[in-house]
Amino acid sequence: MSDKSNKLPEELQLFTSAHVKYIQSLDTRKDEYDYWLTEHLRLNGLYWGLTALHILGHPEALPRAETIDFVLSCQHENGGFGAAPGHDAHMLSTVSAVQILALVDAFDDLESRGKGKAQVGKYIANLQNRQTGTFAGDEWGEEDTRFLYGAFNALSLLGLLDLVDVDKAVDHIVSCANFDGGYGSGPGAESHASQIFTCVGALTIAGRKDLIDTDRLGRWLSERQVAGGGLNGRPEKKEDVCYSWWVLSSLEMIGKTHWIDRDSLIAFILSCQDPDRGGLSDRPGNMVDVWHTVFSITGLSILGYPGLQPVDEVYCLPKSTIERVLGR
Amino acid sequence: MAEHGGSHGGIARTSRERTASERQADLDRIARYRALEDEIRTRVAASGDSAAAVDLFHLTSKLLRLNPEYYTIWNVRRRSLTSGLLSRRSAACSPSRASLSGSRTATTTPPSASSSSTSSTATPHDQPSPTAGRSGTLVDDNDGKKDAELLEGELRFTFPLLLESPKCYWLWNYRLWILGQAIERLPTAAARRMWEDELGLASKMLTKDQRNFHAWGYRRHVVNQLESPALGGSSMVEAEFAYTDRMTRANLSNFSAWHRRSKLIPRLLDERGADDLTRKSFLDQELGTVNQLLSVDPKDQSLWYYHQFLMLNLLSPVGRPTITPAFSLEDRLSYIMREIEGIKDLLESYEDEELDDDDRDAVKQIYKALLDYTLALCQLEGRQPDGQERELVAGWLRELRVLDPMRDGRWTDLERDYGLRG
Repeated sequence: MSDKSNKLPEELQLFTSAHVKYIQSLDTRKDEYDYWLTEHLRLNGLYWGLTALHILGHPEALPRAETIDFVLSCQHENGGFGAAPGHDAHMLSTVSAVQILALVDAFDDLESRGKGKAQVGKYIANLQNRQTGTFAGDEWGEEDTRFLYGAFNALSLLGLLDLVDVDKAVDHIVSCANFDGGYGSGPGAESHASQIFTCVGALTIAGRKDLIDTDRLGRWLSERQVAGGGLNGRPEKKEDVCYSWWVLSSLEMIGKTHWIDRDSLIAFILSCQDPDRGGLSDRPGNMVDVWHTVFSITGLSILGYPGLQPVDEVYCLPKSTIERVLGR
Repeated sequence: MAEHGGSHGGIARTSRERTASERQADLDRIARYRALEDEIRTRVAASGDSAAAVDLFHLTSKLLRLNPEYYTIWNVRRRSLTSGLLSRRSAACSPSRASLSGSRTATTTPPSASSSSTSSTATPHDQPSPTAGRSGTLVDDNDGKKDAELLEGELRFTFPLLLESPKCYWLWNYRLWILGQAIERLPTAAARRMWEDELGLASKMLTKDQRNFHAWGYRRHVVNQLESPALGGSSMVEAEFAYTDRMTRANLSNFSAWHRRSKLIPRLLDERGADDLTRKSFLDQELGTVNQLLSVDPKDQSLWYYHQFLMLNLLSPVGRPTITPAFSLEDRLSYIMREIEGIKDLLESYEDEELDDDDRDAVKQIYKALLDYTLALCQLEGRQPDGQERELVAGWLRELRVLDPMRDGRWTDLERDYGLRG
């Protein structure tokens, strides 16, 4: 590992080997109550951890064969994936499954040993509200632009975007736009950085960035940077390291990453590390978790922090994965 | 992907070292938790008679109290309600019909074997209802009383969990589903009472956390439903507008409330049947209020965003609902120029003063507003900034470079766009 060979001063170092070990340790914590309480996020967690490892340049740190086996063990007959074996299918875990399979180049396994791409596509497409264009998370009907983005993300990776009504979904996103240039979880909802990521991401996948008020949105997003260098998700809120992803990826998609201060954001992200045991937390000194860890590292990647693999700002996967899957 | 923050899989930095007895205590908790899970899974697989359904239901209560994030268990609970505990309805009522947003036409296959059998086994017991309608398909129930009790019980059950976990998507979701069931199963008046109480809950949650994103979204849903014909409702726009008054007064920095206000205004004016004069005085009043607040706290982003909303009605009214659609271009220009002058006046109190951090934040906001509105004014008139405006803009940008270096790239782009560099 290259931590020590780094010429950067201690406070500007990324403790790569500690983070790799932390992520590797996540599935060995079966004697901790929290491990069981978070089983409903297992597949998502695997996506977060694996993406972080790939961006850190350690894709081999989790075993590929077991990863694929686990993902396929979460799939239901209807094509959808649950968060873990025995958990109901849901859009969020289904998207994580597709992302993981893309990451480890295992769509072939999905065809040969799983229910196949077409069935996954059908599961996702059935969750579209054909009247409004938006998507539900599962059969119980909660709708949110998060699910719309997830559907676009997974379907486009599978090459099945034509299964859904893209134009209607785009109309729906437009109806979620606010005067400040941002987007909310649905029509009428307040602008929120993570919902902006989902809406701008979906519009990018649909090839409709022309519908974004990039100037106004860019101003709003750049105002998310607060005095300490970190980013918040809404006006007058505290900074949180996960917005290093939601805000930055959105700025990147509209070509305005340079509208925030790179160096102070890097310093803030690095201050959220646990240097000894690895992982990053929402703010310095708090509990680390794999969610904040991945979105810190992908944020650093967008900022061009040395030694990291480039991340795709739309899919939150390595650029190399997107090039391989989408042939870009 | 996946969303929302919180400490997923979080392991406290301080709690990673456990003593032997702490570790043993954890192992015991894990064993109890997993035993409960196993019991639920076994019973789901067996999916037996109604007594078994009651047992299963109670087991889900136990597990959900330990872990309200366990979405699959919420689904088990829903299925045990629809497949036995609640009165049976005609086959036309599928679970997805209860979806609040309602009209999803695509139906999905329920994921577990136990659930997919639900509707087919239920159907033969149901008689076609002569009054099959939105809420009228009850068959073996006495006026929905039992259902009402069950559904109210569900709201009581989830309430303390919501207080403990106010950002848990699944909990909010489950409550909405229960309330959707009320619409489908109860007489309109009874369902309406439940939804009205729910508005009270939304207010309570917003009193506890004024910016809770979930609670604001929830409130919007609840109000939409209360306004809908399904609940014999009518517009609540006046009451909701008054609510944003109270919320913004209680905390001027509550942008969530300002946002909500911005969304209500076009509808409010339409429903009031406001004529041009009324609309003009409404705009005057809103501008007056926010300008007065800005003169007290010019560093508050929320106030500036609301000001921006009002200005957008003047600056780019095409394609947006406007407050004053009858304004001529001259009207708009005179308002915009008046606002710009008013903002310039705010600067006066900072001239020749030693600026502290708050002052600097205030001055930054003022320069940004001046830039935004001045350049938008030129656009509105379809012209480039004139000599005097260019000088002003260049000056504000120079100040911003010093006061707000974090956004230096933005200032550079503006200088480039307007040829102000060098």
